[in-house]
Amino acid sequence: MKPKYIPPLNFSPVVSTDVSLYRSGYPMPLNYSYIRNQLHLKTIIYVGDKEELSSEYSEFLKDNAILFHHVYMDSSRDVSLKPKMDKVLRLVLDTDNYPILIHSNKGKHRVGVVVGIIRKILQGWSIAGIYQEYGVFSGGLKGEVDLEYITMFETNLSIPKTKLPGFAKINLLDNTQSDGSSTDDNQTTIISSNLRERLVV
Amino acid sequence: MVENQDEIIKETETNFEEDLDEDNYDEDDGEIYINEETELGQETVVVSHPPDERIVPPLNFCPVERYLYRSGQPSPVNFPFLLNLDLKNIIWLANEEPQESLLEFCDFHNISLQFAAINPDAGEDDNPWDGLTEHSIINALQTIVDRKSYPLLICCGMGRHRTGTVVGCLRRLMGWNLASVSEEYRRFTGSRGGRILVELLIEAFDTKLVKIDPETAPLWLLTALQ
Repeated sequence: MKPKYIPPLNFSPVVSTDVSLYRSGYPMPLNYSYIRNQLHLKTIIYVGDKEELSSEYSEFLKDNAILFHHVYMDSSRDVSLKPKMDKVLRLVLDTDNYPILIHSNKGKHRVGVVVGIIRKILQGWSIAGIYQEYGVFSGGLKGEVDLEYITMFETNLSIPKTKLPGFAKINLLDNTQSDGSSTDDNQTTIISSNLRERLVV
Repeated sequence: MVENQDEIIKETETNFEEDLDEDNYDEDDGEIYINEETELGQETVVVSHPPDERIVPPLNFCPVERYLYRSGQPSPVNFPFLLNLDLKNIIWLANEEPQESLLEFCDFHNISLQFAAINPDAGEDDNPWDGLTEHSIINALQTIVDRKSYPLLICCGMGRHRTGTVVGCLRRLMGWNLASVSEEYRRFTGSRGGRILVELLIEAFDTKLVKIDPETAPLWLLTALQ
């Protein structure tokens, strides 16, 4: 078979269950057919410093009716990073926005920080697992400042429950429960069997 | 402010219990009124800090496609993480059996473990660094192209070369160009980098050997084949 698809640099699914969340480097015109035909995106979040979109890219976004959010990010040393990170989290915590692609320029560091925070806050991954994933996509570069930022990051967002994607539900609703006095051992099981019912491969 | 947050948590909590257990309606009148009130307003959940108990992904874990995952050999520390994936199948790419704990885990949670022996004829003389045979690649791919196998995890010792070979052949099947397939393979190979033999194996793999039944193939694969 003749190869026909060229995914963007450092492309990968981040979550691929009831919703699809992808990560990558900056999409180039040669990647457009893959994105158009395979991903059927509703939202693209660009975390980076390039202010201007190329005419090809803005045309591509328009033709495919993709909502584009530019969240300006310089580096994790940026002191005003938190509200930007919160904005990304709000977008990710709304099922109406999916499928979502988050990209930076090379799909290494800035996306790595965003994904690391999603893994930690929304999915409850261990720090070691987050570091490992960061390393896989940054090509072994350690990025200590980024990892420090992920480790220290905390926030305080109030999110409508009805729009929560399933992958965040498991953790966030469990969390709420464990803060309270009563415990229900069946809770996790029930959520997980609900997920199984909605499973569409 | 803090009090307010507690309020939100409480409301969400009681509401959630109601969702789970509607039979409690009659027994617990007091809570129902609270629930009805929050029903009218917006139910929210507070997102602030990670949970106390973290889950630990297996080495080199990554989603590949919808409900399809790759990783190195899971150990007991990863079991809570695996439970969240709600796996139905695990493909284990090695000649030797995985750790006893993994066998027990799969048994207990009704996960079927498929051995795709890398070189069944080699017996005792086999080397773990041998590449996969065409036969075992096809074996693994036949499971992957059947949506009855999902959610599915593909794994080998480190989640690098053998898993990388199978995922690479799957990407070729999906019509990815070779450079992108190699880029993905190398990403997971660690500091010593990719093996040229693995890349040659992926390049030479005849994708027509995999039988795809449109009735049972995962939707993402059908979209890719269109």
